[in-house]
Amino acid sequence: MTALVAAELLKFRTTRTAIGVLLAALGLVAVATAGTIGTAEENALGTSQLTQDTVSSALFATLVAFIVGILSVTVEWRHGTVTRTFLVTPRRGRVLVAKEIWMAIFSAGLAVLGLVLVLVIAVPWLELRDTSLVLDRDAASLAGRTVLAAMLWGTLGVGVGAVVQSQTPALVGAILWILLAEVLIGALLGLVDLEGVADYLPGRALSAFDGTIEDEGLSRAAAGAVGLGWVVGLGALGWLRMSRQDVT
Amino acid sequence: MIEVESLTKRYGSTLAVDDLSFTVAPGTVTGFLGPNGAGKSTTLRALLGLVHPTSGRTAVLGVPYAGLAGVAHRVGAVLETFDAHPGRSGRNHLRVLATAAGIATSRVDELLELVELTGAARRRAKGYSLGMRQRLGLAAALLGDPEVLVLDEPANGLDPQGIRWLRDLLRSLAAEGRTVLLSSHVLAEIAQTVDEVVIIHRGRLVRQATMAEVEAMAAGEARVRTPEPARLAEALACSGLLSHAIGDGALGVVAPPERVGEVAAANGIVLHELTTERATLEEVFLSLTDSGAGEGSGE
Repeated sequence: MTALVAAELLKFRTTRTAIGVLLAALGLVAVATAGTIGTAEENALGTSQLTQDTVSSALFATLVAFIVGILSVTVEWRHGTVTRTFLVTPRRGRVLVAKEIWMAIFSAGLAVLGLVLVLVIAVPWLELRDTSLVLDRDAASLAGRTVLAAMLWGTLGVGVGAVVQSQTPALVGAILWILLAEVLIGALLGLVDLEGVADYLPGRALSAFDGTIEDEGLSRAAAGAVGLGWVVGLGALGWLRMSRQDVT
Repeated sequence: MIEVESLTKRYGSTLAVDDLSFTVAPGTVTGFLGPNGAGKSTTLRALLGLVHPTSGRTAVLGVPYAGLAGVAHRVGAVLETFDAHPGRSGRNHLRVLATAAGIATSRVDELLELVELTGAARRRAKGYSLGMRQRLGLAAALLGDPEVLVLDEPANGLDPQGIRWLRDLLRSLAAEGRTVLLSSHVLAEIAQTVDEVVIIHRGRLVRQATMAEVEAMAAGEARVRTPEPARLAEALACSGLLSHAIGDGALGVVAPPERVGEVAAANGIVLHELTTERATLEEVFLSLTDSGAGEGSGE
């Protein structure tokens, strides 16, 4: 399995996608951090809330991890490399597990990189304004959840890619699902007093876990568990599809 | 050893492979022949675990492909579709495969040298010509120095020198005791390379034969021209040889020319021409596939 994970790393490193992904992730985090600090009111400086908002900028890395997770599988079908992948590793489940492990590692690394970038931008900038971040227990907790959330989003992307396989429908469908479908489903469920059910949808659960949305739904731990359930469930569905299909 | 046993593959209403059985022995190069759409690629993909048979079984070295341990060291394959990422260099493509199979990078460079791609190794694969893509595919197949090679139309895109290089390579691999199965839709293209042929048409086995047997099928009747055709025909008939007039005072005789010459000499008959009318290998192939027509088609 180590060899397969190493092969996934090499696949990522040896195309230009890697540079694009890193630039996109770091660019989003940098812009969000600059926007948060640059627009902060004087009375917000030095508060725990501003620190939370600033550290939250690193959550953009989770979005990029999700997209990379989808691409890590769909690119194999798009370019036909899946044929050679399955020739070298005919037990297809092992390929999927290797991708999941690689994405968990990659996503964690991307989130850590995002957090470091937040500090690199925020610390000197706030010093210029004679203040600093409040690096307390809450900030550490948010940073930890950012890393875990990135791992969940990245591996969820692998599951989505394995189920859908076709690149454009997978990317467009996943984004529309998170941004639109879940909102609509939540609204419809609200009409029949079942709004709480929407908390169990993947996007809502993971957003509740990483703190992107704050409501009175699931606790953070429960939301994380639901997110993990989706990762496992979609991974299993993807494995079922991959193991039964003909590669022609 | 390669075994295909009662293999059937159906895609919806299309029968791509129909109860196909054959074996390929170690130490031989076997041609897998059939016209386009005969079911060759489907059969090879079923053999390599990429396509699930509707019924029947396939085995390589005694077990199904997916059950092989250290598969890169056991079986190497080149399929018709290009399977490298267009944005990745040829060398990195091989490095990815070598890493997944636990093979040292030094083997990658060795193979790039063997397939004469060292100069283009760091170029992105999307810029490769068809011939270069075939060579890269061959390098990928040979990474693990496998016991069995399965090649789908490997000569496509190769220039004459490349085809000769491939022929010598496959012959030398078979001489080392490896099993080589290569598909083609042109018998003449692989006639000098293979020891045996498996011919299929519309998903069904038409014939499995040695190349010597195919050559014998190509040997046609003798053509003999003489100023005394009636006398020669009578002499041949007395020797148990059938002949028929084919115009211009010539006879066609279903016998080796040596035998016809002996009969003519024994009877003091002057001959002006004695040749063999041979069918080309392609004519033999076409006659076999035409007569082997069955139901269904697919590739």
